[in-house]
Amino acid sequence: MNQYARMIVVLLIFSVLSGAVLAFSYEIANPKIQEHAMKNLEESIKNVLPGTTKYEQVEKEGMTFYLGLDDQGNKKGIAFKATGQGFGGPIEMMVGYDPKEGKLTGLQILSMAETPGLGARIQEPAFTEQFKGKSVNDPFEPKKDVQVITGATISPAGVASGIKSALEKVTKIYPVGGDY
Amino acid sequence: MYQLVKDFLNGLWNENPTFRMIIGMCPTLAVTTAAMNGIAMGLATTFVLVFSSLLISLLRNFIPAKVRIPCFIIVIATFVTVVDLFMAAYFPAIHKILGLFVPLIVVNCTIMARAEAFASKVTPPRAVADALGMGLGFTWAITLIGAVRELMGSGTLFGYHVLGEGATHWVIMLLPPGAFITMGILLGIMNVITRKSARDIQCH
Repeated sequence: MNQYARMIVVLLIFSVLSGAVLAFSYEIANPKIQEHAMKNLEESIKNVLPGTTKYEQVEKEGMTFYLGLDDQGNKKGIAFKATGQGFGGPIEMMVGYDPKEGKLTGLQILSMAETPGLGARIQEPAFTEQFKGKSVNDPFEPKKDVQVITGATISPAGVASGIKSALEKVTKIYPVGGDY
Repeated sequence: MYQLVKDFLNGLWNENPTFRMIIGMCPTLAVTTAAMNGIAMGLATTFVLVFSSLLISLLRNFIPAKVRIPCFIIVIATFVTVVDLFMAAYFPAIHKILGLFVPLIVVNCTIMARAEAFASKVTPPRAVADALGMGLGFTWAITLIGAVRELMGSGTLFGYHVLGEGATHWVIMLLPPGAFITMGILLGIMNVITRKSARDIQCH
């Protein structure tokens, strides 16, 4: 076999084998990964809607909502995903909302790429807890009604404006004081 | 046997990838904001390094010289993706911390350099001994950088508070410039130690 044919054949064998190994690994790993993703989603919903034990997924006007229910089937609020623009990229978060009271029930950061030790501290309860019980009509302005983190102003502002702009849509679909 | 020990120790100090050869700088500078990140990244890299070196050494007579680089890249990228998938499936907690860094292993040129300069030329046992040494050498080096940056930047070491509450946190140590500063100073210290020990040997 001349050397050119050999080069092509060897590369082809490498690529095919690599593809096979990857497809095989993906088949094994993917169900597990999906399972973890579902578990994480459920945990974040329970986290932002205290008292929730199960949830129902509701699609409304292009948005996905997670209706939190307790064991007796009482509604505990609505969770939805919001995205804010941070310093290192988008900040994805899960927000809990109680339409009856017109208040937020919790906030969890799902994913972000902020600076470790600075902006990344938006994940810490010290920062997220302040949104619990906050009225949806608040201005959500950093340094006014939203406490910021020393040395990092962009990340908290991204969180605040992300929640605010998502709430503008959400409060139209689920108005304050209305049934849900 | 002596040769294997020598190959293993080589990466730990004499040809340490981080402090001697200054390769694999991308993950070194990017992930070392905490000591724990260094250990996790180092061990994940060691895993990929050992297995890709082994495979490349086994196939060294089969791979034509002209297409060796694409072949190495396919092998390395496949191992990294497999590690990434299985870590996500079975160790989700570790994957959450390292998630962003694992794909970075592909571009760590330590792995490429060892495949090209060593594994493709020697027998599998020597390739594995060298990969282990290089991997662990990389691990201790980036853990040390991570520890220095973590201690000065957030006052903790492996997540435990070491400095008192009153200590000033040098935020710059956690930012990219801190990585370069730490790296430069450690490199200088390494050079002083090496030069001193070389002189001592001459005296005796």
